[in-house]
Amino acid sequence: MDFFQTRKQYFLVPVNEDNRRCIEGVIGGTDYNQSKVNQWTASVVEHSLTHLVKQGRPFKYIVNCTIMQKSGAGLHTANSCYWDTATDGSCTVRWENRTMYCVVSVFAVAVAL
Amino acid sequence: MAGKAGMWSLVKERVQKKNIAARRKDSTVRTKDSISTVSCLDELHHDDNTRMAITMENTYQMGPYKRFSVAAVTDILEDVLTSYLQEERYEGEWSQKMTKTICEVIRARVKDLMIPRYKIIILVHIGQITGQSMQMDSRCLWDKSNDTTASYSFKNRSLFGVATVYAVYFE
Repeated sequence: MDFFQTRKQYFLVPVNEDNRRCIEGVIGGTDYNQSKVNQWTASVVEHSLTHLVKQGRPFKYIVNCTIMQKSGAGLHTANSCYWDTATDGSCTVRWENRTMYCVVSVFAVAVAL
Repeated sequence: MAGKAGMWSLVKERVQKKNIAARRKDSTVRTKDSISTVSCLDELHHDDNTRMAITMENTYQMGPYKRFSVAAVTDILEDVLTSYLQEERYEGEWSQKMTKTICEVIRARVKDLMIPRYKIIILVHIGQITGQSMQMDSRCLWDKSNDTTASYSFKNRSLFGVATVYAVYFE
């Protein structure tokens, strides 16, 4: 019983910090740049996924990253999931600086062992 | 009878959602030139309502009997986005509600396809068009032969909408 509970517990804390650090590392201190944004999103997503995989937990991961230039426009994001709430979870990091917004969502779906 | 059962599971879903919303926790970190906020859907502590993870018995099933149909789901996304957003103008409050509504509608319709053993994740973005630039990227660590994704994007003069569905096979 305990083994299955601890599978999801304490999963999300390291994920938050890793995600934040990934974003800071890739686009922290830079201004929005149309020609580089493609690389940035790919980089953020790749680093996030690598950190998640390093934890070695029995999950399938989906990482989604959106970078948008700040221009006064509004953006709304919603997600809805049909899964097992006891074992699966998600986490979102919203990051912004002077010139852009970045939203990274991580979904983790348990693998049956 | 079937109608009652359907309604009961809908009520259970709503109640679970309310519980989940009540457990949401945000934490903000500021640095010299950026702010980041983390939102988690689940908190670390146990609450008594949390269900225990269930151990499933072996079914000896090697793969999905019915595959997830990307074309059918893309049609659903196109249909839902076009019908809800076709003639609309972007407004803050309305867009907030509409994103959630569209999410729920898509989830209900994909569930109606009755594809067994698939877990579904739906992502919807609605934004205003003011000449800004935006990039969306996603990467997944999953089983390529069974898991898949479908997405559709819609645009009119004042807003854009993007919907993505990820389907993950549960063995």
